[in-house]
Amino acid sequence: MNNETLHPVLAELPVFEPDTALWSRIAAAHESATKPARPMPRRRPWRLAAGFATAAALVVAVIAALPRNDVEPGALVEGQSESQTLESEWRALTPVANRPAASLARLHMIDAALQAAYDRGAEPAELKPLWQQRNDALRGLILVARTDEVTRI
Amino acid sequence: MTSETTPLRVRSGFGQELDAITLERARRGDMDACAAIYRKFGTPCFNLALRILGDRAAAEDVVQEVFLKMMNTLPGFRGDAPFGVWLKRMTANATIDTLRAGQRFADEDPEALFASMASRNVDADLRVDAWTLLMRLPPRARAVLVLHELEGYTHKELSDLFGQSESYSKSILARALKKLGDADESGRNAGGLAAVASNA
Repeated sequence: MNNETLHPVLAELPVFEPDTALWSRIAAAHESATKPARPMPRRRPWRLAAGFATAAALVVAVIAALPRNDVEPGALVEGQSESQTLESEWRALTPVANRPAASLARLHMIDAALQAAYDRGAEPAELKPLWQQRNDALRGLILVARTDEVTRI
Repeated sequence: MTSETTPLRVRSGFGQELDAITLERARRGDMDACAAIYRKFGTPCFNLALRILGDRAAAEDVVQEVFLKMMNTLPGFRGDAPFGVWLKRMTANATIDTLRAGQRFADEDPEALFASMASRNVDADLRVDAWTLLMRLPPRARAVLVLHELEGYTHKELSDLFGQSESYSKSILARALKKLGDADESGRNAGGLAAVASNA
């Protein structure tokens, strides 16, 4: 085969058309490749505040819905009253000079916890066990004082 | 026929002129201008790829790749060569890359390249057309034939494209032409298209 015979054959090659939708696909691919990522919308301050308010309301609602270990106010007063009685008894039994420092340290720790709880407006449910601890501590001190009294006799 | 044939530079369509205004608009990213370029050069791109790959979907993928690349690199097009030549080279490169990716370039040896088609000579009873003749060649031989004979590539350019020596593409081309000649002769005997072509 030579030029004279080859070229007419090649000249007979058909010319095909690509799919009519090809340009649309190319343009779409180009757009998606060059389009910048959608910018994040600027967060507005009022939206931020509203978000916090919603979150706070949700927390309050959850706390309100929680089952509460309700403590009768009378029980708390009773604990305080008992504590005063026990402390008076203990002071009567034990002269200031004979009060053991280790026992006093525990009592002072409980008193500090009680004071802190009252300062932050703690609920009775939190205060009651602290008063019970204080009363238990005082009973212990009274027991020690009575034992010392018997020993001295 | 030897490898020193005078290339046939008709039909490819890459020689069309592109007006400077459309080119400048496309360079600035105007999609209407890019669409106008596609209307002018999309078909030549598609046919160059299709004649080498022999697969319509693969050829359309090449066209898409070429035009996406064109739109991305057009701002840097300096106009040293005519726009059609620039686009043709991108198309040829993308097509050859597709052939390579498809492992259709496995046989580097020209002898081995044509060995597989030795038993596939044209059936004397079959009327053949130019397309059928071309598709009977191995993909690499089609690439050499189309690029050299239809698109005007020199053997130096083919050697760069394939990463082979010039004698390699010359050898491929000579064998391809012989195969075509054999097939054409068979077709002629069968009263096929070649006979019509020779009378034209």
